[in-house]
Amino acid sequence: MVTAAPISEPTTKEIPENDFFLTPSCILGAINPGTEVLISRIYQLLGLRWKAAGDRRESECTCCTGILSHGDIMSMESTLLVVARLWSIAAELGLENITTACVTSFAIHTECLQMYEHEPDLAQRVDRWLQEACSRRLRIPRHVVHASDIVYRYRYALARSMRHRLVEKKTGRPLRIVDHVGCHYAKVFPEKAVGGSDRCDVLTGMIRSWGGETVDYPERRHCCGMGFRQCMIRPNRGYTMACVLKKLESMEPWEPDAILTNCPGCNVLLDKEQWAVRQMTGTNYNIPTLSYAELAGLLLGWNPYDVVGIQAHTVPVEPLLDKIGIPYDKSEEWLPAGNMEVT
Amino acid sequence: MAKQVCIIGGGVAGMQVAIVLGTLGVPSVLVEKSSLLGGRVPMLSRTFPFFNDDGFSDGKEFTDALERDLRSTPVADIRLNSAVTAVTGEFPDFHVQLSDGSSFGAGALVVSTGFEPFDPSSLKEYGYGIYPNVITASELEWMLNPRGPSGGKLVRPSDGKKASRLAIVFCVGSRNRRIGAPFCSRICCSYSTKQASTVMERDPAAFVACFYMDVRTYDRGFEEMYSLAQERGVRYIRGRVSMCTHLPDGSISVRAENTLISRPFFGEFDLVSLSTGMRPCKDVDHLGQVLGISRGPDGFFLCREWFRHPHDATRDGVFLAGCATGMKPIRNCMIDGASVAARVTAILREVSSGGAAASHTVNLP
Amino acid sequence: MNKENADTELDATCELLSKDHKELSHIPDEEIVTAYERIRDQRDSACGGHTYPNIRRLYGTPLEREKDRRQVRSWAAKFRTEMQEWYEMARSQPCTWWLKNHLVARHAFNSCIACGVCTAQCPAAQYYKDYNPRIIVDVVLSGDEEQLVELLKSEILWYCGQCGSCKPKCSRENNLMGLISSLRFLAQLKGYHLCSIRGRQQYAARHLWGGNLWNRACSLYFRNVDAENHPDFGPRYAKYHSEIDQQMTRLGASPDATGQFGGRKVPSETLDELRACVAWGGTLALWNQLEEDAFEDAQKMGVSIDEYYDRVRSEG
Repeated sequence: MVTAAPISEPTTKEIPENDFFLTPSCILGAINPGTEVLISRIYQLLGLRWKAAGDRRESECTCCTGILSHGDIMSMESTLLVVARLWSIAAELGLENITTACVTSFAIHTECLQMYEHEPDLAQRVDRWLQEACSRRLRIPRHVVHASDIVYRYRYALARSMRHRLVEKKTGRPLRIVDHVGCHYAKVFPEKAVGGSDRCDVLTGMIRSWGGETVDYPERRHCCGMGFRQCMIRPNRGYTMACVLKKLESMEPWEPDAILTNCPGCNVLLDKEQWAVRQMTGTNYNIPTLSYAELAGLLLGWNPYDVVGIQAHTVPVEPLLDKIGIPYDKSEEWLPAGNMEVT
Repeated sequence: MAKQVCIIGGGVAGMQVAIVLGTLGVPSVLVEKSSLLGGRVPMLSRTFPFFNDDGFSDGKEFTDALERDLRSTPVADIRLNSAVTAVTGEFPDFHVQLSDGSSFGAGALVVSTGFEPFDPSSLKEYGYGIYPNVITASELEWMLNPRGPSGGKLVRPSDGKKASRLAIVFCVGSRNRRIGAPFCSRICCSYSTKQASTVMERDPAAFVACFYMDVRTYDRGFEEMYSLAQERGVRYIRGRVSMCTHLPDGSISVRAENTLISRPFFGEFDLVSLSTGMRPCKDVDHLGQVLGISRGPDGFFLCREWFRHPHDATRDGVFLAGCATGMKPIRNCMIDGASVAARVTAILREVSSGGAAASHTVNLP
Repeated sequence: MNKENADTELDATCELLSKDHKELSHIPDEEIVTAYERIRDQRDSACGGHTYPNIRRLYGTPLEREKDRRQVRSWAAKFRTEMQEWYEMARSQPCTWWLKNHLVARHAFNSCIACGVCTAQCPAAQYYKDYNPRIIVDVVLSGDEEQLVELLKSEILWYCGQCGSCKPKCSRENNLMGLISSLRFLAQLKGYHLCSIRGRQQYAARHLWGGNLWNRACSLYFRNVDAENHPDFGPRYAKYHSEIDQQMTRLGASPDATGQFGGRKVPSETLDELRACVAWGGTLALWNQLEEDAFEDAQKMGVSIDEYYDRVRSEG
């Protein structure tokens, strides 16, 4: 049986090495907040210079309006302006590399960049409106990348600091990790994804360099089904659950040890809808689903509950920790906010 | 003695030019970069549309016959393993240098460099180079050839087992603006139909599906070949294949929409053949510069006048034959070869009888 | 004003939290906005003044929706921005005009060879048996106003999940995802969304995400994604969510507090800038239209606007 997916060609994507403006994610912030904070911790560990809007005082950061845009209640011009405002804050902080925690943000920022290229006088108009709206100027950033691109770029450096490997400790078997790349990372602008949309390497690169094995299964590139209005408006949610079920059924013959994601929506749904799938079909897939930041944090030896926040997951992550040999104290699971310094 | 003609490329078009020039008493030097004549035809398991065209059961039998004709043309000088490295002078006094160090004078040059199949490794969605059971049409052709690796039997490269479910994917690398190849490669629908028909003929229990957007079997005898294929049981599903993925046993899952009934279609196959489009051969970049002739946006060489001088390149004294100007079936390459030979002969005769040097002002008899 | 008076006044203001549209409708615009902001801005002195305990009480209430309704209307009237006027004008133009002139639509589509590669990849086409993205393309290609209007009134316009699986495949480099998004915007501008169950849900979308954006600078509010709304997430998530303030703080987020990450409260200046950006982009034209249409629709159904809001987000 074919298991390991072959290695993609090296990326031609230009990923900046330092000086990042980090924009947070609505979905992560609301549903899996720890994984977003982890990105900043990883930047810190790597010694990277980064800032978020408001620079650790009161936050000036707004969302990019991606959800509203794809939910069809925000005009493109409003989105351009809100994003332009974020860019101007980045420029004020002296930063020209935008890193987004959310893949929809990544696609939205990139779409804005492309709009300016396709529409000759649009930049001028947006600049004028921005001045009228909030006395800011349009400052087009040098790079727009997703935070997983940064972790991809520094995956070997992180590997050197990692206490654990993606290997079954008892047997030495490399763990089989499914890579689920966010649609808005790889498909909307495939030329801006590491390895393109069909053989995207952003997550498989991490898996390989951290000791694991990748999995190639038929529904690998299928959307998780988040669908914006489909998962958020309750009567439409059947679509989302069906997409999750389809992926789980397809990957099962390969017996994956975990699913790795880089998109907030996928991270939430592929984990949490496994409960709904269990209720509807009786099958308990129980495949732990982690974001790249969470996985990195665990392998680096950070506290699974206090720092990584695995208690927020519907599918228990502890069995995976046992496989890898990461120690944890289950009694810490539901401790209240402790004296963990938030840097 | 008439000036000689330098023919660049020893495929069927170039060979035909030399043969017909010979019948007209015009000497030629046929330069071929590889060690074999015939270009891409010898590896064909059969030709189309009649499958036994002119009594030749496969491509090599045809090119062998052609080569016999060529070698019995005394005024044709064949140089294998040679490439043109430099050309100096102007029509009708060119001076040609070859990679083996030799050189000679020529009154006219004929470019018959042919084509190359598109390499689908860059189209990651099909999994070529990743999944062993995804192959190209050229590889399928060689597999179907009794001279080939499996004696003409269809097998799965992953485990050597018999392949009885074959998917043929049309338009791989063609008709795709997204990859900078908006053109159609003209012969793929036809050669694919030939291949599909061959498989069904040999194994009536096989399942063969052709995934197409259009079936461009346009020439004389081609539509009949298409009907025959369908009568033999080849399935034609109208939808561009979006992705190939593999299943636990190495079979390939092919997905497309069956656009005629507007339903998604996912099929499982032992073998998937990518009917790749064509590109001009790699040397044309360099050769175009050496010869000082222009190419179109699709990379193939441009002619001077679309209707009246379709074989004249954009420089006096340089002519084009065969797939160097765009994909065409074997028969059309042969027709090209004959017309170019006539054209060149006429022009050289004009020159030798003191007529106008500029080739485009010469009137055809 | 001493603390006791301030508290009493705040309590009186908080009574508004339990009122619905009918009871709030006689209160003038400015008063509603001021009351709302007073409730929102109260800090919890015990936590070093970083936490805002009342935000949770404001979210999702008729008060917040009424306040938003009034505020958006007055901002739209005050600003009259270029794009707002454009969208208001676009409403009365034919659909064919929109396809040629809308910023997104005019870049979204070139030509189509009906190869079906988009549908082959589309997850919605596999799930919704009568849906096919090529149907949408076909209608757009026809250039027929009647067919376009029918499409805008249909359910199928709303099946797309905006995943973009079609986008990297299209042989002619069309942007189907963008085209559908653009058509949906038009459907709402023209009020055609009321003709389908899925379309009517947009009123709920406007207040769900729009309300979060307008008031909390983020499309999602962490308290909304609770066990009651998401039984599909299971009991472990329910437990996590029941302790969400503690867990979020533990992990470095800022639930209804000052901070950088999830749940953060942003200062008024940020909200003002954000709202101005939204206004200058013309979105308020849509939100006003959605509100007008919803009121009309609610009246037809014989329900209050708050009942209507609840109905459209649970139908389908």
